[in-house]
Amino acid sequence: MISKKKPARKKKNHNKALLSRKEFMQIAGATGAAAVFTQLITSGPLSPEAIQGIGERSHANAEGESKYAWCMAIDLSACIGCQYCVWACQATNDVPENGMRWNVGFPERTENGTDFFMTRPCLHCEEAPCVKVCPVGATWIRKDGIVAMDYKRCIGCRYCEVACPYDVRRFNWKPSINENPYQPDWGSGEVERRPRGVVEKCTFCSHRIDRGLALGLTPGIDREATPACVNVCPVNARVFGNHNDPQSPLSKFVQEKDTFRLREDFGTEPKVHYVRPEKEGS
Amino acid sequence: MLKFVLAIPKDRQERAWWIWVGILGFVLAVGLFGAIRVFVKGLQVTGLSDQVPWGLWITQDLSSIATGAGAFTFSAIVYLFRIKKYQPIARAAVFVGFLGYSSAMLALAMDIGRPDRFWHPLVYWNVHSVLWEITWCVILYSIVLVLEFLPIFFESTYFDRWPQLRKYGEMIHKASPVFAAIGLGLSLLHQSSLGATYGVLSGRAIWYKPSLPVMFILSAVAGGISMTLLLTILVGKLNHRQIITQELQFDISRIAGFALLAYLYLKIWDWAATSYYSHSPGTTEALVLLQTTTPYTRTFWWIEIILGGIVPAVILLNSQLRKNDRYSLFALGAIIVGVTVNRWNVTLSGLVAPPQWSPGVLGRILSASYLPSWNEIIVSFGIIAYALLAFSFGVKYLPIFPKNDQTSP
Repeated sequence: MISKKKPARKKKNHNKALLSRKEFMQIAGATGAAAVFTQLITSGPLSPEAIQGIGERSHANAEGESKYAWCMAIDLSACIGCQYCVWACQATNDVPENGMRWNVGFPERTENGTDFFMTRPCLHCEEAPCVKVCPVGATWIRKDGIVAMDYKRCIGCRYCEVACPYDVRRFNWKPSINENPYQPDWGSGEVERRPRGVVEKCTFCSHRIDRGLALGLTPGIDREATPACVNVCPVNARVFGNHNDPQSPLSKFVQEKDTFRLREDFGTEPKVHYVRPEKEGS
Repeated sequence: MLKFVLAIPKDRQERAWWIWVGILGFVLAVGLFGAIRVFVKGLQVTGLSDQVPWGLWITQDLSSIATGAGAFTFSAIVYLFRIKKYQPIARAAVFVGFLGYSSAMLALAMDIGRPDRFWHPLVYWNVHSVLWEITWCVILYSIVLVLEFLPIFFESTYFDRWPQLRKYGEMIHKASPVFAAIGLGLSLLHQSSLGATYGVLSGRAIWYKPSLPVMFILSAVAGGISMTLLLTILVGKLNHRQIITQELQFDISRIAGFALLAYLYLKIWDWAATSYYSHSPGTTEALVLLQTTTPYTRTFWWIEIILGGIVPAVILLNSQLRKNDRYSLFALGAIIVGVTVNRWNVTLSGLVAPPQWSPGVLGRILSASYLPSWNEIIVSFGIIAYALLAFSFGVKYLPIFPKNDQTSP
């Protein structure tokens, strides 16, 4: 624009001084602005490095390699439908309202008429649509594979709820003030309740995993470091562990059994593996 | 209605004006009450749920941005491509655009769960999110609209006492081509990204298609031109004067008609390619669900395609029909209704018919339902009242419409 304007001005004043004071000020101002702009996009807050850094900087566990890849397996043929996993989750993660359940369960039937009980935690997708769409990076994939939430950053736009095809996410429509009937009346909750206006979801009990690893425990084997839903299952229908470790209970389970994942056609690459409710040929 | 309003004699217009302002002020006050109730009680007062987390306010947000698209269209035509004959309507377009975008921001401020964190997208960046890009574009473009509008604002008689401000206004006005170029870029980005908001979600088959961004921008161009022209004609009729020449009006009608035709062409092909000539399980599943539980199919064909598409296209592209102001006004209004219903249908279709992720056959993941609560509705009407009120005062006190039939630039 500047170069375009200059010749026009000159033509108009060609018999006067080369530059009037006003023109000089304009050009000087424009040059200054251009210099500042160049600075901004090369090394300032608009530079590619800065842009990539913003948002992820405060989530230290967002990038890089990890020796952990937390995964879960759910054996629908073993599940007896007791709903303990649903309630244990509500107790551990302090979810008083049934409508806000992170881990849902409901009776289902196969094509062949076999009744079974379907349960679903967050699938912690490798290509999580919710993570891609968040305008503020309030949800991100940790390097150990867990899709985490930052309740302090979430603005409550609910685009992640719109994006998630598995109905995993829950929005705090009202303040969570009710007593939690699933929690014992002694001790205190393992995690804080979430404020009104933000989205929450299953965390694979990451607070237990992080604490357990710090204490030298093995999530999936040591109960203190394992998600509540896995611990509570009376028939061991849920298995948890590190998929990067071939000796973990999860890796062995997935290798032995014929598993599938929910709606693989979505391209979301979920990290929860299911065993069909009825055995082949039965 | 129109006939009735037009029949008001000139000497009683003053009274009619105050009645109009009074009604709008009342609706605005009721809306304000609704807004405060939302801030106090939270979004539990809406009809939204975790299954249908977006509804009326998102529709309003998308529609006001679409119908505000006249600003970038006419700015580009007049200041960038230098087709000067459209200048008489450029100011109105910028003003309508500003009102559309500010309405959208008001609707968004209601809709987010933590309005106190509205600034987070500016500080915490997720460059992979279309919504992040939209937030930035909408904010930057609103600044462009304000800058484009400031000179008009400073021209009003009120600013006679500050000639310096008017001078700055003229300086800003000289940069109109720059703003037009920036505005065109920003608008092309976010108007289509609003479609991409849905188009990129691979988990929802009925949305997941690359045509959505393109359909959004084409319908926005048609809707934006229509809104600007509709309001211009109406203001002229109410003030018993001709604001733009007839030839110009017919010209703009024709442009709106062609934009609509381009949109219709793509829309019909989009339907044919995704639901008629091919079979995609996810889309069919969702459409069957929608057909049995909602008026989606009926509103799609009758309102989006026929009322909001074919009928106005015929009226605006036929040289005889568009000369009749009543037909023209109907056509322009129908386009706006069609675009609004489209935004509603797009938003709700993917949510009301969720994908079946359970491996069982009991169909436990049923179609979700949504009905806006009264609180949502009064807030929406309040925002519309804000826009109409600001428009009315703007027309009355600001030099938005040229005073003479033959206008000076």
